Amino acid sequence: MLTIIKNTFREALAKKIFIGYYIFYAIVVLIMLFAVNLDAVEGIVSFADIKQVIISVETGFLSLSFNLILFFSLISTSSFIPSMLEKGTIDLLISKPISRFTILMSKFLGAVLFVAVSMVFLIGSIWLILSLKSGYWSPAFLSSILSLTLAFAVMYSITVLIGLLTNSSVISILINFFMIFVLCPVLSIRESVIFTFVKNESVQFVFNFLYYIFPKPGEIKDVTNAMISGDNIAMWKSTITQNEMGLTSIEPAWMAVISSLIFCAVVMSYSVYYFSKKDY
Amino acid sequence: MHVIETQNLSKEYTAKFSKQKVNALNDFTFKVKQGEIFGLLGPNGAGKTTLIKMLLAITFPTRGDAKLFGTDVKNYKAKTKVGYLPENHKFPSYLTGEQVLSYYGQLSGMKDDSNMTKRIDEMLGMMNLTQWRKTRIKKYSKGMMQKLGLAQSMLSDPDLIFLDEPTDGVDPIGRKEIRDILHEIKSRGKTIFLNSHLLSEVEMICDRVAILNKGDLIKEGNVDDLTKAENIFAVHTVEPIGMDIKQKVMAIDPNAGIGENEINSEAGIDKINGIIDLLRAEKIRIQTINQKTSTLEELFINVIKKDNTN
Repeated sequence: MLTIIKNTFREALAKKIFIGYYIFYAIVVLIMLFAVNLDAVEGIVSFADIKQVIISVETGFLSLSFNLILFFSLISTSSFIPSMLEKGTIDLLISKPISRFTILMSKFLGAVLFVAVSMVFLIGSIWLILSLKSGYWSPAFLSSILSLTLAFAVMYSITVLIGLLTNSSVISILINFFMIFVLCPVLSIRESVIFTFVKNESVQFVFNFLYYIFPKPGEIKDVTNAMISGDNIAMWKSTITQNEMGLTSIEPAWMAVISSLIFCAVVMSYSVYYFSKKDY
Repeated sequence: MHVIETQNLSKEYTAKFSKQKVNALNDFTFKVKQGEIFGLLGPNGAGKTTLIKMLLAITFPTRGDAKLFGTDVKNYKAKTKVGYLPENHKFPSYLTGEQVLSYYGQLSGMKDDSNMTKRIDEMLGMMNLTQWRKTRIKKYSKGMMQKLGLAQSMLSDPDLIFLDEPTDGVDPIGRKEIRDILHEIKSRGKTIFLNSHLLSEVEMICDRVAILNKGDLIKEGNVDDLTKAENIFAVHTVEPIGMDIKQKVMAIDPNAGIGENEINSEAGIDKINGIIDLLRAEKIRIQTINQKTSTLEELFINVIKKDNTN
């Protein structure tokens, strides 16, 4: 297993897209290094203010970039499965005394670990810069390494399945784009927005059903932000509330993480089953 | 115990759009012994690669069983002592020759230690690739890739090696080198399962062959027996063969081909001796007697033609 994981790392580093990936992350880190200047922020008088500013920068960064980082990571790794399935490559892999389960899971874990390492670089650097500049050392922001990796693993399971079914990285990129930027956000606002227009119970049931079975990368981000801010996280049901000034606040739920993990497990189980039965 | 054993191995494909069933292999039953070089012959689409893929569980049979070293091929552990060089193999282009061998060696169960390094050195030396060991394989020529593929298949010192078109794209000198290597492997008691279009090569290397056509096994046996089975004896005479002698020869072998100074017979040793006795009794002097053995290529073409006519 370790051999295939190591080779997935090599494959990732050999791809030009990863040079772009790291240049992008390095630019983000450099922006944080030079652009974030706490002395220039007006009204900072106490350590509590500094803490609040840092939390705002961290949650703001995640709100803006969580889905983008996720999607970028998925694009970069989308070719791993189709390239493994190429004629002449897959024959050789399967001819080795390794189970098909191990081959597929190693490839999956290789990609997930690679993204995890990338997140350690990106998030770790940002955290280090903000902590050094502010003197506020809170490890909560580092939890986004885990949440980004977890969200990636969940969405990557779709890439694996689509890759196995179609041998195409383009199709998996399109499906992931649709899921991350269209379907999942729409489903997450079904109660607060869609159900105010749609009163039909059958349609509402379909929306609810899709919401519970599909992954929820946006809500994983909300859970992370709540952890960083020290806000409450519900167990099963997230709530969106509006204050007198019209500002909305979200109390996310762990259910989003749990149901996303279940989705990942189901999709990967089916992928392994499909892969172990397929003729190459 | 046989190294390879199949029982009624069959593969049926369903065409994607027409839903028509295509038989890639029909009830294929055969055995390969330890230390044999077994050749698989057949025209394109005969089912040769399908057979190898089923033996390695890359493709699954519709019916029947296959075993390697007595273990069902569905169990991946059956492939522990197996090496494989696929046709048109594709190694990760970002690796060097040395890294390719290390990667596939580890996948074959070798430990990444000094023994493996020693074995890689040995293999690269055997294939004359030592000076290219640190070069990325995307710079390798087709022949070098083929040699690297062969090295990969032999790296873990397997007891059984499947080679699918091993000399494809290799120049004549390289082919000779590969042939020598295969003989060397054989001398160490290893079993080789060879799939090649180059019949002259198969004839030079293999002990036993099987001929496949349209998924059916149409001939199987030792190379010597198969080529001898189609024996033709040619008797050349000094004096011309007259009409009356021709009739007497026809009485012994009705299918004999008789020229002015030549008689060709496929009727076997006894009949040819009868013809020689007749000639000598008729005071016809014999200049030469040749046993014409058909080549594997001739045998292959005849057998396939006959099967296609049927």
